[in-house]
Amino acid sequence: MEFNFSLMTSSFPLLLLGALVTIKITALSVTLGVLIGLFVGIARICHVRLLRVLAAIYVDFLRGTPLLVQIFLIYFALPIVTGQRVDPFFAAIVSCGVNSGAYVAEIFRAGIQSVDAGQMEAGRSLGMTWIQTMRYIIVPQAFKRVIPPLGNEFIALLKDSSLVSVIGFEELTRRGQLIIARTYGSLEIWLSVAIIYLVMTLTISRFVAYLERRCRVDDRH
Amino acid sequence: MIDIKGLHKSFGKIDVLKGIDLHVTEQEVVVIIGPSGSGKSTLLRCMNYLEPPTSGTVAVDGIFLNSESNINKVREEVGMVFQRFNLFPHMSVMQNLMLAPMKVRHLQQAEARAEALKLLEKVGLSDKAKAYPEQLSGGQQQRVAIARALAMKPKVMLFDEPTSALDPEMVNEVLDVMKELAREGMTMVVVTHEMGFAREVGDRLIFVDDGRIIEQGEPKAVFENPQEERTKLFLSKVL
Ligand SMILES: Nc1ncnc2c1ncn2[C@@H]1O[C@H](COP(=O)(O)OP(=O)(O)OP(=O)(O)O)[C@@H](O)[C@H]1O
Ligand SMILES: [Mg+2]
Repeated sequence: MEFNFSLMTSSFPLLLLGALVTIKITALSVTLGVLIGLFVGIARICHVRLLRVLAAIYVDFLRGTPLLVQIFLIYFALPIVTGQRVDPFFAAIVSCGVNSGAYVAEIFRAGIQSVDAGQMEAGRSLGMTWIQTMRYIIVPQAFKRVIPPLGNEFIALLKDSSLVSVIGFEELTRRGQLIIARTYGSLEIWLSVAIIYLVMTLTISRFVAYLERRCRVDDRH
Repeated sequence: MIDIKGLHKSFGKIDVLKGIDLHVTEQEVVVIIGPSGSGKSTLLRCMNYLEPPTSGTVAVDGIFLNSESNINKVREEVGMVFQRFNLFPHMSVMQNLMLAPMKVRHLQQAEARAEALKLLEKVGLSDKAKAYPEQLSGGQQQRVAIARALAMKPKVMLFDEPTSALDPEMVNEVLDVMKELAREGMTMVVVTHEMGFAREVGDRLIFVDDGRIIEQGEPKAVFENPQEERTKLFLSKVL
């Protein structure tokens, strides 16, 4: 076995560029996912039946089909319906964000339902509307509890974003493939790619652990 | 003030309230007693529509509770105090008191603050304004909960076993606040097991069993000379 260490160092800047793209996709998808997830999660438990049903269908469909297939649907199938080419960047963000939204919705729903029912009753009995009570009382309490699972979802999404390499989008994994096609250095490059992913996910999990600690301190005041 | 006619409430197949007629007049203190599971909490919760009636009508201050817009109007006028306090744990005592007046009554912050401080003084907790609920004892939390309800300047106060979750030595500090309220002329409906309080403060005692009002009257009269067998049986167990 031959290990070409200099290939690792020389390809590092290129891979790092790919990692930046991965971070960008992840950050945008997470933002989209959290926005979608907050609304879908609340819709899942609101008292409008139609919204509840729609939200449940959304969650079931997106959690019940592979992300890879969802990416193909948006990138290859959607253009057939609309007659317009889909930009790979758009396809990447939308498929990851919409997919993540379903998982985040379940996280928020569980978080909201973990808040004592007496809190909603107290808010409502003071004359506040359901939405006001959600906003000022329930969601702030739920938020602290959803930080750990949200962090896990963030990490999962960062790893899953490697799937958008299949539509030719040049994030970290795709960069790795391209460099290997040129240099045949599978071992060195995949090892580098793995290490870079690991550094990113560990950073996130440390950050989440820090946030969790902060919240606990906040709780005590 | 509160007018209940032919109130029925069932959860699925279980009939909990089986036809309640009740009129509470202004400044009256009505005490509701009865065995566990008899429907006392449900009756109280129908008075501010936390439980929607299955049939019958509930009106507060002339407003019928039936549509979403009515409900919030009525709830602004009806304060409720829960057995387990239900303070907002992520907010300081001040914030607990100021939130609803600012969001519902649209008070300015300064106004809400002044009002909240006044109420804290009334319940004897001026020094706890900045504290968080978990830093307070049960009795203190319940007094904050009463102040929080009063901050909306309600016309009626509903109490659902406000001292049942408290250690015995804290019961009196809460009852004292309630007595003070009654003296000031607040209209109150109180579900409680505190028979001393019922006798001393209540204008009317209502005995509920199995979803019906079995007997009612002047508290001393009911305690000393109950007319119904079921009332006698219940009182013999609790007195
Ligand atoms: N949300 C609900 N769903 C189903 N059943 C309920 C619900 N709330 C109350 N019940 C039932 O209604 C009956 C009356 O309950 P309620 O809480 O009004 O009694 P209570 O007189 O307040 O009793 P306690 O003294 O124990 O508080 C009970 O049998 C209870 O199990
Ligand atoms: Mg009860």
